[in-house]
Amino acid sequence: MKTILIASTIALSATMAGAQTIPQEVTEPVTITFYNYNLSSAGGGADATRKMIAEFEALNPLIKVEGVPVPAQDITAHVQADIVAGQPVDVAQITFPNLGYLAENFGAKALEDMIAPAELEAHFEGMVPNGLELGRIAGKAYGLAYTFSTPVLFYNADIFREAGLDPEQPPRTWSELRTAAEAVAEKTDHLPLATGIYGPTALDWLMLGSLNSAGGSVMNDDRTELTFADPQGVMAIETMRDLAQNELMGNMSIMAQMEGMASGNTAMYLQSSAVQGYLVVGAKDNFEPRTAAMPAFDGYPVKPSNSGAALMTFSTDPAKQRASWELMKYLTSKRGYTVITSEIGYLPLRPEIVNDPEYLADWAAANPLLQPNLEQLSDMTPYRPLPGPNYLQIVISMMDAMEMATFGDDDDVAGQLSSAQERLQRMMP
Amino acid sequence: MTTDAALRAPLHRWRRRARLLPKGWDNAVGQVLMMIVSLICVFPVYWMIVTSLRPENEIFSSALWSDAVSLDNYAYALGTMPMVRMLVNTFTVSLVVTPVQLLTGILAGYAFARWRFRGAGFLFGAIALTWLVPLQVVMIPNYLLVARMGMIDSLGALILPHVASAFAIMLLAQAMRSFPSEVIEAARMDGATHAHILWQLIVPNLRGTLAPLAILIFITTWNEYFWPLLLTRSPENSVVQIGLQMFITAEGTQWGPLMAASTMASLPILLIYLVLQRQVIASFMKSGLR
Repeated sequence: MKTILIASTIALSATMAGAQTIPQEVTEPVTITFYNYNLSSAGGGADATRKMIAEFEALNPLIKVEGVPVPAQDITAHVQADIVAGQPVDVAQITFPNLGYLAENFGAKALEDMIAPAELEAHFEGMVPNGLELGRIAGKAYGLAYTFSTPVLFYNADIFREAGLDPEQPPRTWSELRTAAEAVAEKTDHLPLATGIYGPTALDWLMLGSLNSAGGSVMNDDRTELTFADPQGVMAIETMRDLAQNELMGNMSIMAQMEGMASGNTAMYLQSSAVQGYLVVGAKDNFEPRTAAMPAFDGYPVKPSNSGAALMTFSTDPAKQRASWELMKYLTSKRGYTVITSEIGYLPLRPEIVNDPEYLADWAAANPLLQPNLEQLSDMTPYRPLPGPNYLQIVISMMDAMEMATFGDDDDVAGQLSSAQERLQRMMP
Repeated sequence: MTTDAALRAPLHRWRRRARLLPKGWDNAVGQVLMMIVSLICVFPVYWMIVTSLRPENEIFSSALWSDAVSLDNYAYALGTMPMVRMLVNTFTVSLVVTPVQLLTGILAGYAFARWRFRGAGFLFGAIALTWLVPLQVVMIPNYLLVARMGMIDSLGALILPHVASAFAIMLLAQAMRSFPSEVIEAARMDGATHAHILWQLIVPNLRGTLAPLAILIFITTWNEYFWPLLLTRSPENSVVQIGLQMFITAEGTQWGPLMAASTMASLPILLIYLVLQRQVIASFMKSGLR
């Protein structure tokens, strides 16, 4: 009986501690650190982020934000090093593949464990439900989707005309895309298609969208078993292989793909809408760039995935937790998303601002390339990070296997994927 | 003997063929070949400078020169990040690390070369082993140490892990071991102390080793990327290699400003090459690096 009582007390204490909310407001001056990868780039992303921080500090004079520029691929290592050094970062912009690993292993704080439900609900109102799902791990919001985008098909209208295609009718499915690619290959000297699905730095976000759109998935719903070698996954890779083996799709690095499109040498490019600004600059006075929604597989609804990052907090001090949450709220407010969309190039998690003259209406009217991206926002299937400490190795090995199955000499796609899945399943927790 | 003959045969054949050419032609052919090789070597530098002068929408043009040359990329690079401050930081770190690493290398090298003490072989072996450990392996322990010392985001922390290097110690110990022991013994008989022997006898005679080593240390420190990346938190306290990386993002590379910043960043190293050409080549020959 005594043991049961002690156990119950510990369980109750743990529950209470977990549900403990932070102070209602910041009453003393506090400084928080913010690891941000947009700050680590020269130009628009950094300027916009600095602008949002300055606006936030003006509205919250007791809070000082130390914005730290860290490249996207290095943020996880920085967060880990700081936690080990006993100086956890307060807020960090974490790319979606790393979200689960940090939430499950490095003491990230779930918003439900810090913030009162009514306050959370009030902030979440108006946000795309699919977008909110992006930050949830095991039912709790460890991350708040911040900078994110979906894949779109960029195409060069001039090459389309040269190939006898109608730029007003871009391909909607992979079959139509193949037909268009054949026309480009036959009538022009340009590369018909490049996709950000493959490449050393691509990771799995765009592949995930492709598998989902083919009716498949990378893993099952409870994140315990890999399923990418199922028949639907094989069908998706076989579609890519057909394009690659017929020299309709190039095998190159992400950088080469982007530069090929920006220089006007590639007809179609499937990639995150986040690269739109770069492509538009290259296209100026050279060619007419256009965008279309991510292509669907015949007979299946398209399910775009997302790239980008969420905001996570690692603060342990209640005052800093409040300050961190205030910053997270501001960055994902209507004003925050107005700056993020118009000055950095990501999607607004609050779609209502697109038609609101106070926020994005004028900008959206002047930037029609964003429209397909906004239209497919409601169809988006949130990215789900692989579980366990081997997550990154599994992602890289899976992508290597898929790349070999697409561009390699072996026609047995199913065999290659099954072999990789069986091997990688052993690395799952 | 057989091997020597086999090696000499092609040389003789080449000489016979060369004699068939009119006088001075072999020299002219050599000169032309060297000019072609030089052009190939210089071309990337030329392309970097030309790209830095192109407007954004001409970045992917393959023309050798642009009709719309401008300094906009330089203005952009200088305006979007504190390039001058970063260059000064990089120069400061390199300028401090070079003499300090030389000093520790000279002292340790002398100790290993001239003193007999218990565990010398083991200690030298241990230092040699650290040379084989990649920087990435010790980066996190070093980071924790620097964090505990409260030195994060400071130039001092960029310098601290480089005050001694296994490579400098090994190279200098080896150089000092080959220094004639008779000369040192004669100096000792004349009453010279270790300090005298080291600073007035050995070091002045090691200039041929020290100069190339100093150049190598300077260039290696100048090109350092991972340690500053982990340690610095603000562009103002960062180095130029981090600044260059800021033009390369997942959303595209800003080639014009990147090439402008690269041109500015490589100027000091280019100057070193111009002024100290012979020593730089010697340093690479000695270290076996290209």
